[in-house]
Amino acid sequence: MPRAYITGLGFITSIGNDSRAVEQSLRDLKHGFELYPHFDKPDIPCKVVGTVKGFNTESTDQEDWTYPEVYSFKRELLRTMAPHGLYAHCALIQAIKDAQLTDADVSNESTGLYTASGGSPFLTHHFHSRLQAVGVMRCSPFGIVSSIVGTLNFNLVAAFKIKGASCGFSSACASSAHAIGFAYDEITLGRQKRMFVVGAEDGNKDAILPFAGMRTLSLQTDPSLASRPFDAARDGFVGTGGSTVLVIESEDEVMRRGVTPYCEVLGWGQASDGYNVAISHPEGAGLEKAMRNALQATQLSSDAVDYINAHATSTLIGDVSEVKAIKAVFNQPNIKPLVSSTKALTGHGLSLAGAMESAFSALAIQKGFTPGSAHISKVDPACEGIALLKKTENTAPNIVMKNASGFGGANVSLLFKKV
Amino acid sequence: MSDLAQTSQATKAPFISLAKPFSPEDEVALREALKRCSPSTFEAAVQFRKTGNPEHLPAVVIGVVERYVEPELRVKLKDAADDLRMIEDLGIDSLTMMEIVILVEDVLHMTINNEELRNLRTVGDVKAFIDCKVRGLPLPKPTKFLPIEHIATVMPIQPPFLFINEASVSSVGASGKYKISGQEFFLQGHFKDNPVMPASIMLEALGQLAVLYLLEGLVPEPGKQVSSSMIYFTGCEGVRAHRICKPGDILSLSIKPKRMKMPLATFEGTIRVGQEKAVIAEEITLTFGFIDAVVPPVEAAPVEVVSNTSTPVASAPKAS
Repeated sequence: MPRAYITGLGFITSIGNDSRAVEQSLRDLKHGFELYPHFDKPDIPCKVVGTVKGFNTESTDQEDWTYPEVYSFKRELLRTMAPHGLYAHCALIQAIKDAQLTDADVSNESTGLYTASGGSPFLTHHFHSRLQAVGVMRCSPFGIVSSIVGTLNFNLVAAFKIKGASCGFSSACASSAHAIGFAYDEITLGRQKRMFVVGAEDGNKDAILPFAGMRTLSLQTDPSLASRPFDAARDGFVGTGGSTVLVIESEDEVMRRGVTPYCEVLGWGQASDGYNVAISHPEGAGLEKAMRNALQATQLSSDAVDYINAHATSTLIGDVSEVKAIKAVFNQPNIKPLVSSTKALTGHGLSLAGAMESAFSALAIQKGFTPGSAHISKVDPACEGIALLKKTENTAPNIVMKNASGFGGANVSLLFKKV
Repeated sequence: MSDLAQTSQATKAPFISLAKPFSPEDEVALREALKRCSPSTFEAAVQFRKTGNPEHLPAVVIGVVERYVEPELRVKLKDAADDLRMIEDLGIDSLTMMEIVILVEDVLHMTINNEELRNLRTVGDVKAFIDCKVRGLPLPKPTKFLPIEHIATVMPIQPPFLFINEASVSSVGASGKYKISGQEFFLQGHFKDNPVMPASIMLEALGQLAVLYLLEGLVPEPGKQVSSSMIYFTGCEGVRAHRICKPGDILSLSIKPKRMKMPLATFEGTIRVGQEKAVIAEEITLTFGFIDAVVPPVEAAPVEVVSNTSTPVASAPKAS
């Protein structure tokens, strides 16, 4: 069976805009939350967001945007971007450099790009308002390509001249984990030699606030207490945006280019709850099956897993479901993989989450640490019985499991291995 | 009608009717829409919106085009030459063209259709198009590129007295090329052992291009077409030859209409060889006339010589 490896990473996240800053935040358990000015209104109950720093994408006019000086964009590239398209473009530049890829390595028929984002409600709202106000023929010709789900692949495939497979994934908060799984398949089935996997979200008012209507957002006003998965006092998730890019390559390409990978992608599994449109299965049935499928696909026994980077978003129901699923899979005596949720630091990146946290896992494996689950002062009794890691450990896990769950009960479990 | 013809016509017609006065709110919206354009663009747009006077239009259109051109190419617009091509010279793709149109629509309060858009190839096309739209006049013809076969079909003048190899014609003018082959019959005697293109023939070439403009570039009155048998030379002014042109030289010809007043059409013309000026004619005047349009159009009929005053252009058939 051909093998696949992660060889490059790029980050624009609430806890850092490059891998060095991200690593430091994960080691120090430094969160990326701020009181969000747009939420500073009496009728908005939630206040905290995992903000992307160093960028200003507040305007609906892309030419007003500002970004770190190391990046430069021509108008013709910017004009079709959503905010998360800008983040993703920057993260992809980082990942290409990190993986030491040449232009020819990026643009060829054996290199593809999978993306995941929820689109840009921010720009969709703007364009529809304009359509109502001035009529359809005065709307920007880029209204569609800059805002709909898929805007990420449209923009990145064109900008980076991608010639291989390209596709967007839409399974809500499991989207970019799905993208990694199917990118792994592309490579191990021999269809592609290299895949970029891109997760991104705007993470602004329009992207996050609608979740308040579902009563799933934390109402905490203290940024250091708002996101605390597994804690007894947790009261919902904190939204975030940004982008993460992973470069996944075949063993042949890794050998040919002579690069050292972060880790191996061992395989993956998925399963669905078949239960509720928005609520996770109370026993975590779909996630349990997804983890078992991942183990079976990689022919690993459950005692091989050292660390689980949990999906746990800090919601009341979701965290408990995941704990139950983990206990069901790893319930033998003395088999207790360490578990943490890095969403305690970043917030919940929605479609971005799976890619971002897989990249954290790859970074941890290569840099030799296991990220802790921050902000837990009293473990929820319903979340007991698993090996919660509260502080970052300075040892690398050998095998990491990364869980991701999305609306409709979509569940993905990915496995990574130290090389 | 050409835009020049329309100018004279439009001065008689009132400016576009202003539906409602230009309010302070309109000015705020206009300033926002044009925030990335030059201050003079905004000023011209304000004046246009206040008065409806089309003389402000070129500044608005050029200002909007400039805003969408990459900074390093903007210098080309300083001369605002009408034959600058939107795609080839200014790097504007069809999507950017749409952005330009939407902003123009927004600023000038007009509607432009997709089919109309496709024909706008040069800065001159855009200016003439907007001008006609605002005045409610028939739209100008787009720039057409004509190969020799087409030229020979429509022209009353035929080889060996046709001195245009290829041409492009729009409503604002025409340009063409002629390569001096050395096989031209008159070079045997002009001069002895020293073939030099006669200046009179170069003037003739410019006249021929003006004929092509009348036949292919002018938007005639509804139901009419320019008759190829009614075009004759009447006069020229300010003709100067600057360069000796010999076999192997490629003459770059261009003419622009200066005045259109039936039955006279006056043009300015230049010939260059590479970057060098060869001939300048401040004015070349032709007479022309309309006949009822025939559908489908028939091929150009041979020109009858009807007047003793006819000079090179009209005498062409006699020479062939």
